[in-house]
Amino acid sequence: MKTQTIKNFKKYLLLPAIALAFVSCSDDDVPVANNVTLEFNNTFQGETIVLGDAASTEATTNTSAEGQIHHFSELKYVISNIRLIKENGTEIPYNVNNLDKGATVVDQSKAETLKYVLNAIPTDDYNQIIFGLGVKTSLNDLDQVSFPEFYAATGENDTEMHWEWGTGYRFTKIEGFYDTDNKALSFHSGSTLEGTKDDESTYVPGFDAYREITLVFPAMAKVGERSPKIVIEADFDYLLSGKTNTILLDDKNATPSAHTSVSMSQYVDNIGGDGSSDSTGMFSISHVEN
Amino acid sequence: MKNLIRSLFIFALFTACNGEETVLISYENPELELEVPFGFPEFNNSVYTNKPTKYGVALGEKLFHDTRLSADNTISCASCHIQEHAFADRNGKGVGIESRIGLRNTPPVQNMAFMKVFNWDGNIRVLENQPLVPIITHFEMDSSILEVIGKLEEDPEYMELFNKAFNGEGITADGIFNSIAQFEYTLISANSKYDKVKRNEGETFTEAEALGYQVFQDKCVSCHSTELFTDLSFRNIGFPLNPDDEEAGRSRVTGLAEDFMRFRVPSLRNIAHTAPYGSFGQFETLRAVLDYLSNGVLEADNLDPILKENNNRIPLSEAEKDQLIAFMHTLSDSEFIGK
Repeated sequence: MKTQTIKNFKKYLLLPAIALAFVSCSDDDVPVANNVTLEFNNTFQGETIVLGDAASTEATTNTSAEGQIHHFSELKYVISNIRLIKENGTEIPYNVNNLDKGATVVDQSKAETLKYVLNAIPTDDYNQIIFGLGVKTSLNDLDQVSFPEFYAATGENDTEMHWEWGTGYRFTKIEGFYDTDNKALSFHSGSTLEGTKDDESTYVPGFDAYREITLVFPAMAKVGERSPKIVIEADFDYLLSGKTNTILLDDKNATPSAHTSVSMSQYVDNIGGDGSSDSTGMFSISHVEN
Repeated sequence: MKNLIRSLFIFALFTACNGEETVLISYENPELELEVPFGFPEFNNSVYTNKPTKYGVALGEKLFHDTRLSADNTISCASCHIQEHAFADRNGKGVGIESRIGLRNTPPVQNMAFMKVFNWDGNIRVLENQPLVPIITHFEMDSSILEVIGKLEEDPEYMELFNKAFNGEGITADGIFNSIAQFEYTLISANSKYDKVKRNEGETFTEAEALGYQVFQDKCVSCHSTELFTDLSFRNIGFPLNPDDEEAGRSRVTGLAEDFMRFRVPSLRNIAHTAPYGSFGQFETLRAVLDYLSNGVLEADNLDPILKENNNRIPLSEAEKDQLIAFMHTLSDSEFIGK
């Protein structure tokens, strides 16, 4: 009964939008909206990453600033809270409070996840994108009832992006190997933050690995007659050799205990920016295809 | 937004009433009177925002014992939280479905209404947020809340109980979490021999128990304080380390190096019934714990200052250990553990 009412309510909200769509269409042939495709190219210094197990000869290797060779067997991260910015500064949020419709897991082992289509972006010229690496605190509670699709996508056995004990999602999951003897490298990030800081009875202090990335396009993305593609490079060389931190892997910080210590914040700041002076981290726009 | 939806819902109800006869069922569900036992701290906030009710507690108790909360219907909350062990169990580390082994020792579920922070690393502050964790954790029940709701919906008894407990809202995730928390709020242990001595109810300590109480006040009470017998702080007391590289103690939650291998001070209530001891069951007996503390603990940068100041030891004579153990047995609440 209740859900039915909500559904109907949503339908009514849509009506003016649909009406508006018809009105606009009658003016000219330019659609009121079109798709925008985000394409993620995960690289080591520009070379697209090939994953591989410890003994793999095909896997793409990289050498850190500290001289440690490394490669990955798993590479996943969550993108959410996406906003496109118009030339005049107006933000167009894309389902920012709906993880089923506005968030995705980029998984290097699944080609189909490297492209994420934003549907029905209003016709206009856009020159920036902002997105979250991870899930913002208010949605980071493994709410399967509200977002069953995202819950399922992140929870699949080969995805493992649920952080059960922290009742949140894993934001980044990287498994791999380092040094010539291929010691295990494992980096998981997430957030244990819960509740309200001013209310001690609810507040769980924690480290929040959520980062917002702001990228300026080298050329305008023109949405309308065409549906642009924005190619975003994520250069995982930054993981160990970032703008703020140079990390030397050892037996204390290279395995899952990395996410338990201060070193987690070093990795996170490297790939996602430090949240203040650096808002790009490892990300950059390769190009925009109109 | 929620209010708007609620208003619309009410509006829809009225509209419906015009056209057809609608019978509004009202549910009577009295709140339970919980009392703060003599000397105990105040209830935590959630006890007031999720007040235990007659049917809420009955539902929570039923869910607590229902194996359908696990993926293969083999274990319930009560499989690991066993009443005769103060709602803990005898395993070093928790055991989930298909005999999967967890990371830590099962914590006893007692006096939750007074705790301000839950679990060994304090990852939970609001008890209602806890039940989801074992339901979805791979090495515990490995299910999901929608899977559980699906199973419960097949049982008309549950539909009725949920409606009674939560005013006709049917089977919901929040109903599951809130009712289990409500049941746990009623698990109050405050009728041990110690309590009866304190309340002058005619019981007296034996000589050994009285001497043990003295030793306890000299050497233990700075951490095991209040009538909960824990100050709810997180401390590294140099116990043998869990080899699982997931383990980092409190720093798994806070990410702070200073919290590495710090754990919440355990309550000593019903401690004689919750062996083994330590975050992953390092010690089989209370004697073994006391021997270890007396002989010397592991060095660590963030070792508790009280231990640091005492050469990493809490020195205890054999007689003092006997006396302390005798005293700790007075914290057993036979009514609570059902024997």
